[in-house]
Amino acid sequence: MMLRLVILLGAAALGAEPLVTGFERFHASAPTAEGGRLLYNELGCVNCHGGETGLPAMRGPALATVTQRVRSEWLRKFVADPASVHPGAVMPQVLAKADDKTLVAIEHYLASLKPKAASKAAAKIMHVNGARGGELFNTLGCVACHAPGKDFIPAEGVPKASESTHRSVGFADLKAKYSLDSLGAFILDPLKVRADGRMPKTVMDRQDSIDIAGYLLEFQGSDGRIDQPVVSIVADKNLSIAGRKAVIAAQCAACHDLPKDAAAKPVALNKNEGGCLDADHVSGPRYALSDAQRASLKLFLAKKDESASPKLAADLTLHALNCVACHERDGKGGPDAARKPYFQGDHNLGDTGRYPPPLTGIGGKLRPEWLAKVLAPRVEAKPAELFTSHNKADETRVRPYLKTKMPQYGASVADLAKLLGVADARPALKFAGGDDTAGRKLLGTQGGAGCITCHRWGDRPSLGVQGPDLSNIAARLQESWLREYLINPAGYRPGTLMPSFWPGGKSFNQEILGGDTDKQIAAIYKFAESANGDPEGFPQNRNGEFEVVPKDRPVVQRAFTEGVGVRAILVGFPSGVHLAYDGDKGGPGLAWKGRFFDAYLTWFSRFPTFEKPIGTEVVAWPKPTGRFLGYRLDAKGNPTFLNEQGGVKVEETYEGIENGLRRTVIWAPTPDFTPTITHPAGMIVDVKESSAQGRRVFTYLWK
Amino acid sequence: MKATIVALLAAASLSAASYDIADILTASTAADTRAKDWKPGDGLALEVSGMDWTADGKLALSIRKGEVWVLDGVLDAKPTKVSYKLFASGLHEPLGLLRDGKDLLVTQRTETTRLRDSNGDGVADEYLTAGAGWNVSGSYHGYAYGPKRDGLGQLWVTLNVDMGDHADNKAPWRGWGGVLGQDGKFIPMAAGMRSPCGLGTNLAGDMFCVDQQGTWIPTTPIYHLRKGAFFLNPEGIASESRPESPLKLSAKIPEKRPYPEALKALPEMRPPAVWMPYNKVGRSGTDLATCDAGGKFGPFDGQMFVAEFTDAKISRVFLEKVDGEYQGACFPFVGGFASGIVRLSFAPDGSLMVGMTSRGWSSLGTKAYGLQRLRYNGAVPFAIKEMKAKPDGFELTFTKPVDVARAGDVASYRMTNYTLFYSGAYGSDEIQAAPNGIVSAKVASDGLSVRLKVDGLRELYIHELHADGIRSAGGEVLDHADAYYTLNRVPKN
Repeated sequence: MMLRLVILLGAAALGAEPLVTGFERFHASAPTAEGGRLLYNELGCVNCHGGETGLPAMRGPALATVTQRVRSEWLRKFVADPASVHPGAVMPQVLAKADDKTLVAIEHYLASLKPKAASKAAAKIMHVNGARGGELFNTLGCVACHAPGKDFIPAEGVPKASESTHRSVGFADLKAKYSLDSLGAFILDPLKVRADGRMPKTVMDRQDSIDIAGYLLEFQGSDGRIDQPVVSIVADKNLSIAGRKAVIAAQCAACHDLPKDAAAKPVALNKNEGGCLDADHVSGPRYALSDAQRASLKLFLAKKDESASPKLAADLTLHALNCVACHERDGKGGPDAARKPYFQGDHNLGDTGRYPPPLTGIGGKLRPEWLAKVLAPRVEAKPAELFTSHNKADETRVRPYLKTKMPQYGASVADLAKLLGVADARPALKFAGGDDTAGRKLLGTQGGAGCITCHRWGDRPSLGVQGPDLSNIAARLQESWLREYLINPAGYRPGTLMPSFWPGGKSFNQEILGGDTDKQIAAIYKFAESANGDPEGFPQNRNGEFEVVPKDRPVVQRAFTEGVGVRAILVGFPSGVHLAYDGDKGGPGLAWKGRFFDAYLTWFSRFPTFEKPIGTEVVAWPKPTGRFLGYRLDAKGNPTFLNEQGGVKVEETYEGIENGLRRTVIWAPTPDFTPTITHPAGMIVDVKESSAQGRRVFTYLWK
Repeated sequence: MKATIVALLAAASLSAASYDIADILTASTAADTRAKDWKPGDGLALEVSGMDWTADGKLALSIRKGEVWVLDGVLDAKPTKVSYKLFASGLHEPLGLLRDGKDLLVTQRTETTRLRDSNGDGVADEYLTAGAGWNVSGSYHGYAYGPKRDGLGQLWVTLNVDMGDHADNKAPWRGWGGVLGQDGKFIPMAAGMRSPCGLGTNLAGDMFCVDQQGTWIPTTPIYHLRKGAFFLNPEGIASESRPESPLKLSAKIPEKRPYPEALKALPEMRPPAVWMPYNKVGRSGTDLATCDAGGKFGPFDGQMFVAEFTDAKISRVFLEKVDGEYQGACFPFVGGFASGIVRLSFAPDGSLMVGMTSRGWSSLGTKAYGLQRLRYNGAVPFAIKEMKAKPDGFELTFTKPVDVARAGDVASYRMTNYTLFYSGAYGSDEIQAAPNGIVSAKVASDGLSVRLKVDGLRELYIHELHADGIRSAGGEVLDHADAYYTLNRVPKN
């Protein structure tokens, strides 16, 4: 097995100091008080020494469950010297002098914290697919922070290590640390363990998380049941008490949530030599700080009591949470050259189709309520729903073409939307009025700007490349931003495929609303706000993802069908009238007008259920009573169904006609036999009995 | 997405030296058909569900979407110019395809259908009901498989048990296999199956079927289908009360006991000819194909090749008759295929076509679907060719002469035997494991076979052999040193 992970891209060149990615990338080259502020928060200094950084609290992982999640031997090693088993760990060494007995005692104490209520046993892992996990790990966004797998070859080839501007967040020796189950559970919801959002939660299925865990653990084979689970030690009472004493002495509760009887005391900052900041460290937690980190912290401490401006607090929050790993802001950040190849999406949309959008001025771009919604925990579409709608299940996912997924940061972003709103505030603009009829025209292809050529509209795919949904722009975007953007899209996002229809403020179209730029933009906004139908120019037959649209010939498809049964044979006619035939008893079942049906469930689901017509004005025939023998298709694709009634063979051919169907029934005339022929209620039936015996022609028309 | 990832098990179980895998068409990603942007017409989702060869040597195949395609050029040395012609469409998840003269027979969920091209334009214009008579409830798992023709000319169809919404296993013939009568009516023959996904005959024309591990099925079994046989899964047994049933169980289902005890408690129960131990020889068997390639597929003529979904690999089965009943051994063979294998078909030139689709279940194959070709390159693999039961042990035959000193040394072999637990649970552990002593190993004068005298043989137990110490006369290690013999009966002579 050839899975190998590059643990630390370029680690040797960059030293072994604790890794705060945002610092290393943006603040390490020239020490500043701002960089120091970030470190003071992210290294947990603030948790002992107090102060107000303006940044979301950095907390250590939950310890009450740690012995159930992490293997005993690894845990002891980590507690004794975090960086030795987890390169770049931000947890300082607080127990350098602890002997093995103390480490054991601490483990017993931690095991004693285990919630009493036996947690529901996780379902057994029946199946692991590490290869699939690798695909997910390397494309879902994990490698924005972590190093990509060496075995994963992006389409553009593997980037050079030298292209990396900063270290990746390393992995502790995962095999020694986790079981398949415990790592999978962590990946599935990291916020349960790390509520501070430094490892955010990417919404996924349990199987996805298990497959990713299988990949990271280099799991052999596919049967997850052979994995060695993590088994917590059983806490010994006396050892737990000793452990608690050690935990209090080490001030663990400063960063980790622990019971009150293990609380940590605030520690005054003293200016004596030999403390955390000193290279010749003698007491307190031991951080292997780099010179740049030390210098930055000193600069910050000199003005520790100054509060951060909203802009600084917002920027540093984005650095702390590493939002800038994926998003650019003010020309900085976004994936670096070493990570870009792992960002995949729709190549038809160019760079905007693969990289997440910039955050420059984001607080002035998105409406505050929308920004809050984007940051809030949310439900993502179930896979099945993704096929029918792009936005209903998770309306905030406006760029479904990005393979990377925006993760969730939990409580750490509670204040961020507000902060960004203040930091990026723009002069308010309120569109006066707005002609939504003109807006509909402008968005459409019948004399408008043809926006829907490239943009989706709600659940309607665009006519060409599938750019972001425009149906929600009024809910999503601030008016002043939209106006500025439409006049010069490239000013906001260089390289965008979006052309300007109002270059220099002058409209492309002088007919609509007299060519008034402001009125036109207001009209578009207004139409989106009105939610009053679709822009002009979408095809009449909705081009659903799996909708079957008969174009030149009839389309025949068997499917389980409501109202007809499991042996239904659906026939769609280009004339827009369709038939569901009973392939059991041999007779017509349903007819309807308009759209035919969506074949997704029948064609591509594991769980097909009963299909139903998606057209209108459905009519039904009485249940037939014969026996079905098959069907023929003529040169035009029209079906002739072959049946038997009372021992006599009866054939019937259907053709689609304007607003109806033509049915021709033929049988070998014999004395004493007339076939049973029924008709649906709700249609005009025109009977043309042919002069020939054994032949009847019926025309069905909607009233 | 063109990014690729090394197939996890490719190297582990591929007889790379003797067999070459060629791609005919595989999905570009692990979830091609399920991508939300995929639209009908964006390309052919070749989720292969049935295969056979036309009279002029083209490959006819059905796909799960409900189409039949005819492919030309798949046997070219480099199959890069394969042409695809749509022959039929609008079918309901056909899961088997068989040529019958100029027609093709496919089994859809609700019926077996004869596809006929009456005007010779290469496209079917008649879809005639050729077999029906089983209930279809609308449950997602109500699959129907086949048809396959046995040596008597009978067409066999097998029916999955229902699961999920609408499931109704009391309705006729779920979990049964049967033949199609002259009028196309389904005639039930054998019961007790779960997902009898793959049918096929041996060279004698007897019909076999591979089922899959699951509830009541402790591990993948291969059944010899016969009238009146009950195998394992009682979920669809209610149909035995119908007048057409060839079977009436004479005792209650002997659940929750070791399989050999269960078998003795229910006279109608027939043991699988071969058990394929879980994980060791794959996890979900899906199809079988008997090799009759006149040496063009290597030294395994007459043996059965069994497709496997979860691990995307193929194993090999040797069968023999003892006291008139089939039993035999299975051997790992070749892995590293692109997707969950569902269909196998030997080509006229002795290549094995491998049809795949992973939709709905997880597979180690990294692609959503595809068609690959496995071709023997003439380098004879060093393998255990056959494992035959003897009154006091086994006889192994090899594809090449062995190193006599090693093959004659009992320390070159290890054997254990175990059985499985029969219950409604999903799968079973191996139970009652016990070692077998290798008493002696006698190498034949031609060096091509070894007679093992073995202690502790147990009837109805699986005997697992590891011949790790064996080398060929030229010093090669065995392609796979493990073999699994289902010893239903110890031969008397």
